[in-house]
Amino acid sequence: MAVDHSMPVLIVDDYKTMIRIIRNLLKQLGFANVDEAGDGSAALDMMRLKDYGLVISDWNMEPMTGYELLREVRADDRLSRTPFIMVTAESKTDNVVAAKKAGVNNYIVKPFNAATLKAKIDAVFGE
Amino acid sequence: MSGRGKSTARRRAGGRAPARRRESGRSVAEEITVLVNTLRELAAIRATAEDAASRILDSAEGLLAFADNEEAKKAEEAILSIMTACGFHDLVGQRVTKIAETLDRVIATRMKAEKGRKRAAPSSKGRITLEGPGLPGMSDEAQARIDALFRDN
Repeated sequence: MAVDHSMPVLIVDDYKTMIRIIRNLLKQLGFANVDEAGDGSAALDMMRLKDYGLVISDWNMEPMTGYELLREVRADDRLSRTPFIMVTAESKTDNVVAAKKAGVNNYIVKPFNAATLKAKIDAVFGE
Repeated sequence: MSGRGKSTARRRAGGRAPARRRESGRSVAEEITVLVNTLRELAAIRATAEDAASRILDSAEGLLAFADNEEAKKAEEAILSIMTACGFHDLVGQRVTKIAETLDRVIATRMKAEKGRKRAAPSSKGRITLEGPGLPGMSDEAQARIDALFRDN
């Protein structure tokens, strides 16, 4: 599956700085259609109103974490196939395994660079 | 500013505590005041980091706008590096939040102990415990381990 650079991408993070960083990196990678949400709950509301081709989410947010968002997305028939990348400082193996079991497509540990983000997006879309 | 910090103990700290002296020579009330002030310092660190990251990003975004012509493309990689380095704000914030939460618990425990009540530890059964950022320099190793997990299945 080729990466469609016109697809809407949703960034979910409670740190505005991280949203700006990821948004800029995505722009340089050719993704211009980017929305943002400050936590899982806001993201879920947005996903129910608009079809996103990719979700890039932090884990540690309140009130709804990225992990809870992932589980909600995978449990929702309409959203369950949405590609989902976790970008988080959480690197404990148990947590990574939990995210994988919950259906995350790829996982990036902070701090990361542009090459890692590109590689994981390419991997998710099979390039 | 992110809302990750918890402040229940900080609110409680406004109340009066008995002036019993501890080994440090400070009363419990004085110790709690020191801890609450430390929490304020941590909040200031978070705010300063956020402000610095935001101003660096403003400048980097401004530079990136000039990178449209072919000459300036060479600078693009360096600008993206500056931008990703601004992620320090997130990691600093998470570490500071962990410390602040620990201080919150210490304050709450001391206040409860002073009142002669036992503090029941919350059950973590069935919950995922987050550890936050790992030690500096470990993220490449962690990413490689995680990549292996995703390759294996």
